Amino acid sequence: MKLLKNLLKSPMFVFGISLLLLTIILAVFGSSIFTVTMDRVGQQYAAPHGKYFLGLDDLGRDYVSLMIRGLQSSLYVGLLAGVIATVIGTFVGIYGGFKGGWVDDLLNMFTNIFIVIPSFVILILISSSFSEGRSLTLIGIIIGLTTWSWTARAVRAQSSAIKTKDHIILAKLNGANTVKIILVHILPYLASYVFMVFILQVASGILSEASISMIGLGPLDTVSLGTILNQAKNTGALGDGVWWAFIPATVVITVIVFALYLINTSMEGVFNPRLRK
Amino acid sequence: MLKKYPTLRYILQRGGWYFITFIIAVTINFFLPRLGNNNPVDIIMGKASSGLSTEAAREKEESYLVEFGLVKKVKGEIVRDELGRPVKSSSFEQFVNYIKMCFMGDFGTSFQKYPKKVLDVILDAVPWTIALQLPTIIFGWIIGNVLGVLAAYRRGIFDRVFFPSAMLLSSIPFFVFGMLLVYCFAVVWGVFPAMGGYAGDLVPSFSWAFFSSAGYHYILPFFSIFLCLAGGQAIGMRSMGIYELGTDYIKYAQWLGLKGNRILGYIFRNAMLPQLTGLALSLGTMISGALITEMIFSYPGLGMAMLTAIQNNDYPVIQGGTLIITVSVLIANFTVDILIGFLDPRVKAGLQMGKGN
Amino acid sequence: MAIFEVDNLSLHYLTRFGKKVHSVTGVSFTMEKGEILGIAGESGCGKSTLVNGLMGLFIPPLYPTAGDVRVAGESLMNRSPEDIRQNVLCRKVSMIPQGAFNALNPTRKVKDIAADVMAAHMKGIDRKEIYERLNQRFDLFGMDTKRVLNSFPVTLTAGERQRSVIGISTLLNPQMVIADEPTSALDVTTQKVVIKMIFDLLDKGIFSTMIFITHELPLLRHVADNIAIMYAGQFVEVGTADQIVFDPRHPYTKALMGAMLSAEPGQKQKKPTAIEGAPPNLANEQKGCRFAERCPCVKDSCHTNEQEIRMVAGRQVRCEYAE
Repeated sequence: MKLLKNLLKSPMFVFGISLLLLTIILAVFGSSIFTVTMDRVGQQYAAPHGKYFLGLDDLGRDYVSLMIRGLQSSLYVGLLAGVIATVIGTFVGIYGGFKGGWVDDLLNMFTNIFIVIPSFVILILISSSFSEGRSLTLIGIIIGLTTWSWTARAVRAQSSAIKTKDHIILAKLNGANTVKIILVHILPYLASYVFMVFILQVASGILSEASISMIGLGPLDTVSLGTILNQAKNTGALGDGVWWAFIPATVVITVIVFALYLINTSMEGVFNPRLRK
Repeated sequence: MLKKYPTLRYILQRGGWYFITFIIAVTINFFLPRLGNNNPVDIIMGKASSGLSTEAAREKEESYLVEFGLVKKVKGEIVRDELGRPVKSSSFEQFVNYIKMCFMGDFGTSFQKYPKKVLDVILDAVPWTIALQLPTIIFGWIIGNVLGVLAAYRRGIFDRVFFPSAMLLSSIPFFVFGMLLVYCFAVVWGVFPAMGGYAGDLVPSFSWAFFSSAGYHYILPFFSIFLCLAGGQAIGMRSMGIYELGTDYIKYAQWLGLKGNRILGYIFRNAMLPQLTGLALSLGTMISGALITEMIFSYPGLGMAMLTAIQNNDYPVIQGGTLIITVSVLIANFTVDILIGFLDPRVKAGLQMGKGN
Repeated sequence: MAIFEVDNLSLHYLTRFGKKVHSVTGVSFTMEKGEILGIAGESGCGKSTLVNGLMGLFIPPLYPTAGDVRVAGESLMNRSPEDIRQNVLCRKVSMIPQGAFNALNPTRKVKDIAADVMAAHMKGIDRKEIYERLNQRFDLFGMDTKRVLNSFPVTLTAGERQRSVIGISTLLNPQMVIADEPTSALDVTTQKVVIKMIFDLLDKGIFSTMIFITHELPLLRHVADNIAIMYAGQFVEVGTADQIVFDPRHPYTKALMGAMLSAEPGQKQKKPTAIEGAPPNLANEQKGCRFAERCPCVKDSCHTNEQEIRMVAGRQVRCEYAE
């Protein structure tokens, strides 16, 4: 908890976490604050007016509703993908780093392959083969399954560094098996690092979803920030100056990712004192 | 013999690994789209068979099946089952066939632009992509890192203004920034064109009019990618630079009375090595982001080609495109790896002393 | 003429919160040409800060509080950093750093680092002449000159790196050399080689005067003419090597000698004892003797009286009760 106190002293952290909380509150309570409806309420691309202060889309739907739904979807996918990627990456990383030897080499090779082959490409290939049934959950799972490699690498470096620490060696000598050592001794030690990594994975998940939806391979049944942008592009809103079609979504994506990066950087600053002024 | 040339051994080692990765990538590239169990010929038949008699439709379907390598053939004759229908070849046979075709440079035929070959579609688009992405990534990396070192060395006001703006820039995805730039500069202020690689009424040629139009259309996409990339590099380099400033050898350099610029050079030369490694790791993401940016600008590169293919379920082009993208990323990664091998004496030494990776 | 004079030098540095930490207080000594002064003390006693001050390197957050440092009559105070860099560092006063094997830029060949030093201080010298001088100088070190000069630091042994660092530091024939724990992290055999090299250079006149900082007292006795014992930013006893090692008068020096494990004649029967407690926190204002908290023979007035340097048995001692 001393850690939390230190974090709260950093203006970067406070700013980042406030931004993030703001978006989460919007996502969770948005439907109660604003009326959210997917029905047609007016003319195609009507400019912002009255209570529709973000204007209407090309199907006459209210952008405020779309944004709130979109925010919920994007956060959901980001979180889902982040959790899956962090869990896989952490365990691959810890196991490889701890075991060393040929297990490590094999896992390393496996990880490196996933790092080098662009996950975006894999996303395209998988998504395009599902011409129906593309849900948020499916996309979240796919993103999670394809973007864990960076986490694995980072965690492995940490893990192989601490396996020489005394309390680990002691546990080994006491005959504890590998799984127990990982869960009981290594994981708590790396908890703060894994949390930082998790934040980055969530950010990356949100961006991946926006990217894949942007090109039309996103969820088919719901609205997400990426699909809003895709729609804006496809209907030529971009060129016609219909700013409300894409500016709000771009701002929100930027704000979320920026907030997450701020949190991550400030945490780095607290954990690694050399980076402080 | 190989022991005498550690650099050569390093190159061969890395090359070998990349080759294995390439094989895996090609395999994944082939099998993933088939997860969804869709038959591409059915899609194409939907368009092509309207107005044809059943017999003609069946013949057409068979010819497509052959063309897309989906049926078994023995001595050039279609193998048929007891009902006279062609026997579909197994996935493995299709795969082997695919590899054979790739070696002959035939990556299949586009559905949407039938009978245009996938290779031709890609070759039309690739020069545009390379022209946009190569300079952007190289300059973005160099300039971003130089700014980062400067920020690390001369902290203070430069740092307070520079750091938050770089941070913001680096969080914005390229294509998002691209959209903002289009809105500001193309729509509101009308200074730059909003889309295309060149003016609509021109045809690609070696004329001044064409090149100047292409250059004009180049600027917004270039800056979309360049600014965000440089911002990200600057942030990373700044951290690395601050770290290097605390090292013994920099303190010693200061004690020896070396000039400030020389010390900056020392920091850069050392900090750029992990930055290069970081570049290699993020190349895949960078190139993907740049491709989406191309789509925003309807820039006639690989990005647009992929977008059109996806929107039209043009599987051969999608597959060909992803293959090219993956191979390019692999080649780029390999190049950076070799570069690191040459630039970091510790890598060479590590190999000389027989240490593993 | 004294080649190095330090007059009541006090240094402080500012923490992030604007607090002043007085890391060095009232240090005074002079050195004649050819003298070797050893400085010994616990970690954290202010040795490294003192070294920066002795070189004129007042880089924020380090600031001079008071006092003067003169090299061959020329003061190092109140001069611009560029002036110090160009004229003092490496030319008049040069430093051989602690942990020298990390002191070399890993991505630069030894000859290039050395050439950088020459280029930074000598105008209008061309590359060819630089390399000639380098070759001549490094030939004196008893290493395979061609190989060492053309190597990256990572391929050299620890001893070779240490000697290269010594060579680079003394390249411009400085008047005064400060060696900050040059042998600390080396094995015993390499230590001997390094010490031998330093003395070789002394003999050859590459430099004449040296301050040798180390926490290894037996080494000091063999190397130094005079020894200064430092504690909590002050010199508490300064005398000849024999005086300090065999006949310490200040309670702290006595405790240090007692805490030593050494095969020194006259020391064998003493049992090594650790000194209890820890040095005072110099961010707080100091009253009275700084060693009072841990002194085995402390008296009441020690906590309140500022301790000044007195002459006791032919050496300087900062303790009013010492004799």
